[in-house]
Amino acid sequence: MRTRFLIVDDSELVRKSLRTVLQANPEWEICGEAPDGETGVRLFKELHPNIVILDFQMPGINGIETARRISEIAPAVPIVLFTQHASTDLEKHAKEAGVRSVVSKTNAFPMVGMIEALLGPTDSGPAAGDSGNSAKGQAE
Amino acid sequence: MGEQEKVNILMVDDQPGKLVTYEAILSELEENLIKARSGKEALDHLLRTDIAVVLMDVSMLELDGFELADMIRQHPRFQKVAIIFISAVHLTDIDRLNAYQRGAVDYIAVPIVPELLRAKVRVFADLHRKTRQLEMLNRDLRSLSARLLAMQDEERRRIARDLHDGIGPLIAALSMNNGMLAQQTKKLGPEVAEVLQQNSQLVEQLSKETRTISHLLHPPLLDEIGLLPAIKMFAEGFAERSSVKVAVELSPDIGRLPPNVEISIFRIVQECLTNVYRHSGSKTAQIKISHTPDKLLSVQVCDEGKGMAGGNGASTHSGSSHGVGLSGMRERLRELGGTLEIKSGVNGTTVIAAVPVNKTMTKSI
Repeated sequence: MRTRFLIVDDSELVRKSLRTVLQANPEWEICGEAPDGETGVRLFKELHPNIVILDFQMPGINGIETARRISEIAPAVPIVLFTQHASTDLEKHAKEAGVRSVVSKTNAFPMVGMIEALLGPTDSGPAAGDSGNSAKGQAE
Repeated sequence: MGEQEKVNILMVDDQPGKLVTYEAILSELEENLIKARSGKEALDHLLRTDIAVVLMDVSMLELDGFELADMIRQHPRFQKVAIIFISAVHLTDIDRLNAYQRGAVDYIAVPIVPELLRAKVRVFADLHRKTRQLEMLNRDLRSLSARLLAMQDEERRRIARDLHDGIGPLIAALSMNNGMLAQQTKKLGPEVAEVLQQNSQLVEQLSKETRTISHLLHPPLLDEIGLLPAIKMFAEGFAERSSVKVAVELSPDIGRLPPNVEISIFRIVQECLTNVYRHSGSKTAQIKISHTPDKLLSVQVCDEGKGMAGGNGASTHSGSSHGVGLSGMRERLRELGGTLEIKSGVNGTTVIAAVPVNKTMTKSI
């Protein structure tokens, strides 16, 4: 089973680029996209993704609040905050809310490696030569 | 006298005949003339009406003019009412001095020369009218300046949002596309790979500069997670750009404050640090924010620079050499019911802003 991503970002362009980057790995699929936090939480409950990529500044609830709600539902599912405003303090708040990792949108390049590390060796796609393992951290 | 707003002139005498005489003399001024036959009646009028001039007899049976003047002056609202005494007796210099010490603006001897009394009352009526106009203009100016500051904040917030929502995603997409291409460098050949690497660096630089502009316009963390993270982030960026070492000491129990308080405090800190960089020559700055025992939020920004021109406190009102910075800070604080204190000397400057904060209005994030 492939690793299923939920992308929550109010920019269609960012979602599209993320889709392109993530789908380059055949073991990864985008199971859902949401333009705001509330929709993100709803889709999370419906789709049970294995990993969530979250924007910080969005209409309605922000990425940190969205992360808090998602991690209350399924604390094992890794959440990545993908933001233009990465800073030490934001990272501290984000981690308290259940975010595993903060990635700067201004330098998105290390993101893929970071996601691979978050998912662990068994889910790291073709590079690890193991495509058969099912995703971990299913949403309850 | 045209369209001028009339002012109130209070005439006080326990002899009705004299009141009629004053009225006849002053009616030509076309102001509102109010008669009081005792000190008590006069005080009643003063409490109910805005009085420009009090014209009163020194010798009254129940409460004499001097006693009445004392009572009027005791009330802070009436400190500036012009009191003119009229007297047929007590005409020595000592008597006159006594009257002026009680705050009289004039002392007229009987028999009254009508033209003279009229001219004197007119001067003080006009002065009162002008003072009132000035106070009104000042109030308008203050509210205009508060509105301007609020509009400036809103405009900055809007531009920052436009940068974030419009340019931010473009940069993020460029960065991700470059990242995708970078994974294929083997197929690209060394020259193309180098151009790609340069592009990636350019995108990163573009992103950094856009982010700095956006953050200076409006700190993104302020609305989302509050004042303290926003100040820390600003201080970090400021230190990096200016090479001024900034120490930040923020009391963690501050929590969230109303949005207008948070933005005002942020702007005050921002302005202070800008002044440190532009004017002080200091290589260090310190920001301290904490609650005081008297329920104020104290915001202090200190430097070790050369001090402000004019020294301690003297330049705190002008702000001319510091742009509109200081007056802007004052306006923001006035809106919040706060105060600004500046201590400046050869060893540096400390700006202390105190903002009344009701503990109940704070909430943790």
